[in-house]
Amino acid sequence: MVLEATMICIDNSEWMRNGDYTPTRLQAQADAINLICGAKTQSNPENTVGVLTMAGKGVRVLVTPTSDLGKILACMHGLEVGGEVNMTSGIQVAQLALKHRQNKNQQQRIIVFAGSPVKYDNKVLAAIGKRLKKNSVALDIVNFGEADDAKPEKLEALLASVNNNDSSHLVHIPPGPSNLSDVLISTPIFTGDGDGGSGFATAATAAAGLSSFDFGVDPNIDPELALALRVSMEEERARQEAAAKKTTEDAPKQDKGGESSSSHDIMAEDLAVDDKRDNLPDDESALLKALAMSMDDSRSTGLAVRDADMSEASNDDQQLSLALEMSKQENLKDPSTDPEINAVLGDQSFVSSILSSLPGVDPNDPSVKELLASLQQSETQQKQDKDKDGNKGDK
Amino acid sequence: MASVASSAIQRGQVDLVDFVDWSSVECLNQSSTHSLANALKQGYRDDDGLHLASDADEQLLIYIPFMQVVKLHSVAIKGPEEEGPRTVKLFSNKEHMGFSNVNDYPPSDSVVLSSENLKGKPVILKYVKFQNVRSLTIFIEDNQGGNDISIVQKIALFGTTVDTTNMKDLKKIEEH
Repeated sequence: MVLEATMICIDNSEWMRNGDYTPTRLQAQADAINLICGAKTQSNPENTVGVLTMAGKGVRVLVTPTSDLGKILACMHGLEVGGEVNMTSGIQVAQLALKHRQNKNQQQRIIVFAGSPVKYDNKVLAAIGKRLKKNSVALDIVNFGEADDAKPEKLEALLASVNNNDSSHLVHIPPGPSNLSDVLISTPIFTGDGDGGSGFATAATAAAGLSSFDFGVDPNIDPELALALRVSMEEERARQEAAAKKTTEDAPKQDKGGESSSSHDIMAEDLAVDDKRDNLPDDESALLKALAMSMDDSRSTGLAVRDADMSEASNDDQQLSLALEMSKQENLKDPSTDPEINAVLGDQSFVSSILSSLPGVDPNDPSVKELLASLQQSETQQKQDKDKDGNKGDK
Repeated sequence: MASVASSAIQRGQVDLVDFVDWSSVECLNQSSTHSLANALKQGYRDDDGLHLASDADEQLLIYIPFMQVVKLHSVAIKGPEEEGPRTVKLFSNKEHMGFSNVNDYPPSDSVVLSSENLKGKPVILKYVKFQNVRSLTIFIEDNQGGNDISIVQKIALFGTTVDTTNMKDLKKIEEH
């Protein structure tokens, strides 16, 4: 939350045409800069960011420190590659731009993208660093792109001369599959010295698709969407499995006559479980439902039809609740469960192994345990109702 | 504790440390371990173990705003023989100066400290230039021994406030 004015020095020299960072080095820088601006302004709305280019015809300030993100994004358009960087001059101009910032209470910071080789020697760099330190300007250096032997050492020397209480940082980003910006997010440049930008960083990782969540949607931010996506994914998978079985198992269709009632009971069991699950947390209930359905491999047709219905219904976010409601209504008519599925579910170890393989479900979670216990209890009851179940018609 | 010569205050003058606006005090090129408070704040400045030291080179730029307008009469700067400041320039009412523009303006007063001064003898300033001081900038250009680091043990400012001069509050430790 430090009040800060930042100047970002872009490297737009010829070296930036290279595509070892997607899509080109220059574009990767532009993306990173957009993220940085967002992070800075989010961590403190009074923060300002400015941008200048170091190469091209000469050092040119594109935008002086401002808190207006739109201006910064606009000036990143139409950046052209060419020329050679003049780093010393770039840093000096950045310092000058910071000196004339409007709010003198802001701390001064310069972020340099060092993509081209560094042609200065350590002494010159140390002198620059010293001057920055004297004027209490912090410096962040992003070392990427060209890597020759002396470059890291030179940049280390520069960092050492400017560093005051660890307020300055040097990060090395080797070329690789991940984005420049994605790697940057985890560095101290984003996270600051404390937990300043970390809130933004986690959101940014989710947005950037780098998240560890299955569908690129953070359940913390949007639980319903995450839930709906997960459920529809499971159902789609189950439906496809069922469809595959259907084409290969035309012969056993006759058996479905006898099994249809049981498959119906499975569906009913699902609904019964649904009912119980309504009291559980949403994601766990959906998982258990998916689990139950995915275990019905051998019972294809009726279930396939039902699966299709369910998946179509739940593909749409808003219809998920409708589907659940329909399930509830059906359940009210047929409060019975299939003993077979129950037996499977009753096998604690099997279920826990399935559950532990599912993301986001902790088999030791009390609500899950409770559900399993209740399933086992109802198992005995359902065995008595078995005959009644066998007489139910198809759906 | 203080010897006769080192803490003598002119009659009618007050130690202005009470009028310093601490929230906006700044010091450029100070070392993080030896900061301005060691030299300026009451209690710290009299502790010989605590001092203000410069960091990257021997220059220091100290910005001291006041809570009200004051007249500055004299200043006492204490430091060690070798690393203590030598050339000191004072600027009145110039905000947010940097090392690059210290030489752009003529100072309100410029002092070369002798070893006597470094023991605590106050330097009388050009009073006429400091009649209406909202903020004071002290630029320590070099030190006695030409070292890389300047060390200041105490900075004391003496003067009067413009609005009221309550004669009862005047501290008269010693007559000059």
